[in-house]
Amino acid sequence: MLDSVQTSQPLVQMDKIVKTFGGIHAVEGVSADLYPGEVVGVLGHNGAGKSCLMRILSGAMRANSGEIRVNGQPVDMKSPQDAREFGIETIYQTLALANHLDAPANLFMGRELKTRFGNLDERRMLSEATVALRQLNPNFKNLRDPVARLSGGQRQVIAIARAIYFQAKILIMDEPTAALGPSETAMVADLIMRLKNDGIGIFLISHDMHDVFELCDRVMVMNKGRNVGAFRIEEVNKDDILSLIVKGTLPDGWKPRGGTS
Amino acid sequence: MAGNAPEKRRQRRFLPEGSSLHKLSAIVTLVVLIIAFSFTSPAFLSVNNGLTILLQTSVIGLLAIGMTMVIITGGIDLSVGSILALAGVIAGLTIKMGLPVLPAMGLGVLTGAACGFVNGMVIAKMRITPFVATLGMMLIARGIALQLTGAAPISRLGDAFGVLGNGALFRVVEMQANGFPKVIFPGIPYPAILLLVMAVLGWYLLQKRQIGRHIFSVGSNEEAARLSGVNVDRTKIWAYTASGALAGLAGMVLMSRLVTVQPNEGVMYELDAIAASVIGGASLMGGVGSISGSMIGAFIIGVLRNGLNMAGTSAFIQMIIIGIVVIAAVYIDQIRNKN
Ligand SMILES: Nc1ncnc2c1ncn2[C@@H]1O[C@H](COP(=O)(O)OP(=O)(O)OP(=O)(O)O)[C@@H](O)[C@H]1O
Ligand SMILES: [Mg+2]
Repeated sequence: MLDSVQTSQPLVQMDKIVKTFGGIHAVEGVSADLYPGEVVGVLGHNGAGKSCLMRILSGAMRANSGEIRVNGQPVDMKSPQDAREFGIETIYQTLALANHLDAPANLFMGRELKTRFGNLDERRMLSEATVALRQLNPNFKNLRDPVARLSGGQRQVIAIARAIYFQAKILIMDEPTAALGPSETAMVADLIMRLKNDGIGIFLISHDMHDVFELCDRVMVMNKGRNVGAFRIEEVNKDDILSLIVKGTLPDGWKPRGGTS
Repeated sequence: MAGNAPEKRRQRRFLPEGSSLHKLSAIVTLVVLIIAFSFTSPAFLSVNNGLTILLQTSVIGLLAIGMTMVIITGGIDLSVGSILALAGVIAGLTIKMGLPVLPAMGLGVLTGAACGFVNGMVIAKMRITPFVATLGMMLIARGIALQLTGAAPISRLGDAFGVLGNGALFRVVEMQANGFPKVIFPGIPYPAILLLVMAVLGWYLLQKRQIGRHIFSVGSNEEAARLSGVNVDRTKIWAYTASGALAGLAGMVLMSRLVTVQPNEGVMYELDAIAASVIGGASLMGGVGSISGSMIGAFIIGVLRNGLNMAGTSAFIQMIIIGIVVIAAVYIDQIRNKN
């Protein structure tokens, strides 16, 4: 099945992306691609440049150089709106929530639902938000509280619901389960499998090896802003990945692991 | 399973309008002030004085509506007092040049909006902090107003110019036998009606429209708003333009009331407007504030100034007291933010 996936056109191709901050080389000529219906894990130590690379794809940050193609077409991502037009939705590591507003207001921030007269349609935003949030967390209450008063897990659920509500084709998840308990984490894992089966391409940034091996079809490892390795998940094991993350190289005498072809 | 629980106890208003506790304490403060002043000066509780307070408050209140929007975005507008004067000067000069009162006043409001627009552009596009940008505009607008008039007042603007500030709806006047008119019912002053209309409009825009939601979003978390596709620059420019236009409108009311354009009128009015907003629960950190709260705040400032005047407190002592009130209000705001 994976092979048939690989023959289709890539959803995203990122080519030699470079991003520097003054003297800091956050991303140094990284290339990556993503196919429909696959999950690509983006791994690396803290500060490796994972978030920068993903923020460039989501239009939140401008690359110094490099090219991004969506469905084969070169695109210029000037703003998050541009990225959304291409069906790219992002769960930011920082969650990007407005603390004083409630869950529905956050879920629909920038894309508020309106009535016929152009007024905010609070009723519909609340009912839609309720459905979207309960899907991820059936016990989600206090929808009307400012999100500052919610738990870290609830806040993360809002950020996830916001990304999937608008029917992304390409989903970027920057450590989506960092603040979640075991049951919510399992829920997100289910969700990722479901979205993947719907043909959505997912970039998943995670530090959790268990999640990575369970969910990802491929992984790419970043080290000091460089892409130091991209593999199909069955070609590598945990130690290989840890070695890449820490040292930036594979263990000595490494050969692709067994698994399938 | 679609949302039955929240349906049951749906609150009409859920945006942070400043805690209701805060608003309650502001109302209590207002009542205490009124009671205290009615003891210090017997004339305080008269109908005429009530009208005076209403008129004074309408100017502060108009400024406070715009100020509240700006403060909710996390900004500040120090230029409203000067914009008020410049708007008045433009209206006065164009009337002198032969323009009828109504279009001249429209031009005055437009002048205010233009100044506010420039504020917004400087803040959003040039990335100058609101404090510095509007401080600059404070000097620029005042300078233009003084330069255009040679610092001299413009008087003899005709009766029509005084209608907005001195007229009233439903005023009943009876001619007495001795030939003097007797006011049976003083009516509702136009400035008060204008303030009410603008406050309702401001509330509607902030609470019911997308622009209001974006104003709250930007003030609450600018980066999140940007990442969520809110046009942050546009939202800020809108808020400062609204503040400028309302300052222009306040200028029309004030100058019309004096039936004279004073280019040095409105100095430090921005502080009254900021104080009104903060007393009413707006947070200088952004993301919190309400029109209703700011209106209570405006009345507190109006009553305070009027009561102190009636009690014969000198202008200097008034400055000291208002200064203390402003610091106290901001201090309360800070304590509130720590919780
Ligand atoms: N806005 C910025 N200004 C300056 N430097 C930045 C900025 N954003 C990121 N960096 C730098 O770029 C490098 C890569 O950061 P990035 O956030 O992409 O790391 P990361 O791989 O996501 O790390 P983590 O696992 O901790 O999230 C870091 O050295 C960081 O300090
Ligand atoms: Mg990161």
